[in-house]
Amino acid sequence: MYFENIPALINMSGHGVYVWSSVAVTLAAMLWLVIAPLFKQRELLQEVSRDIQRQQDRELAAKTAALSEPHEESN
Amino acid sequence: MSWLSRLFSKWLPKESSNWQWFYRLGSPRWFYQRSGQWLPWVSLAALLVLATGLVWGLAFAPEDARQGNSFRIIYIHVPAAFLAQSGYFIMAIAGAIGLIWKMKISYMVMKAAAPIGAALTFIALFTGAVWGKPTWGAYWVWDARITSMLILLFLYAGVMALQYAYHSVDAASKASAILALVGTVNIPIINKSVDWWYTLHQPATIKLTSAPSMHMDMFMPLLVMIVGFYLFYAVALILHTRNEILRRERKTSWVRELATAKAGS
Repeated sequence: MYFENIPALINMSGHGVYVWSSVAVTLAAMLWLVIAPLFKQRELLQEVSRDIQRQQDRELAAKTAALSEPHEESN
Repeated sequence: MSWLSRLFSKWLPKESSNWQWFYRLGSPRWFYQRSGQWLPWVSLAALLVLATGLVWGLAFAPEDARQGNSFRIIYIHVPAAFLAQSGYFIMAIAGAIGLIWKMKISYMVMKAAAPIGAALTFIALFTGAVWGKPTWGAYWVWDARITSMLILLFLYAGVMALQYAYHSVDAASKASAILALVGTVNIPIINKSVDWWYTLHQPATIKLTSAPSMHMDMFMPLLVMIVGFYLFYAVALILHTRNEILRRERKTSWVRELATAKAGS
């Protein structure tokens, strides 16, 4: 290591605050760039499967309605 | 834009030739499935290379004789600025491919590239400002390099905003692509700004045409970081593009099957 010890690495002869704040903001922005789309992907897939579920429910309701209707008319 | 496709039509690859990969790449489904296989490996590579470069640059590289340790910001500032500009080319080229060959996936790549490029431009500006304080004595100066980078940020923001300015996805894509293409004029201005105008910003450390203006012990970690940022960019672009595919193809059977499989597991 270029520095003698860890405190020297953190302090960087007075420049540590500039270097480490830059690193922190950069890493935060980079993490956001990869984590946000992963959450978004889950959300999008959940939306699609909810749509499918809703559509199946509607079809089922229509089928039961169609089954019961002619039965009543024939009587 | 039909005149544009007509103009380029003679260069359109023939379906029967060995250009088939080009057409397959244009299929969102193919891209989604393939990129899912690539992602873990590219992510792992990005993580390893970035960690190596960061530790090397921050803890092992020697300090700069004039700037002291504040120069270590170079290991994130330069790669971020590099990718902010490369990313702009990627976005503009994707837009051009969309306009010329009407390839669906390229418009999705263009849309995905905008927020990533904006974030990288922000990183370059922020780290530059923090670096400026101990080096120039000011966080911000209205200098040619910094101002042209700020314009780059606005161009990215413009492409993002245009995506939401139209009801039709097609119109939004075309408008964004044209703005992206027109904005490429800014990239050579950013590059040459340190030569054309009197500026506080130091001249380029790395040039393709000559040896780097820094010692190898300082230069190697920078090179590693640039490679790491490229890998990271690939990961981010793939992730954002995959979401755009899901958004635009949500009515197709393959996305519906995928969603059902995910919901069941």
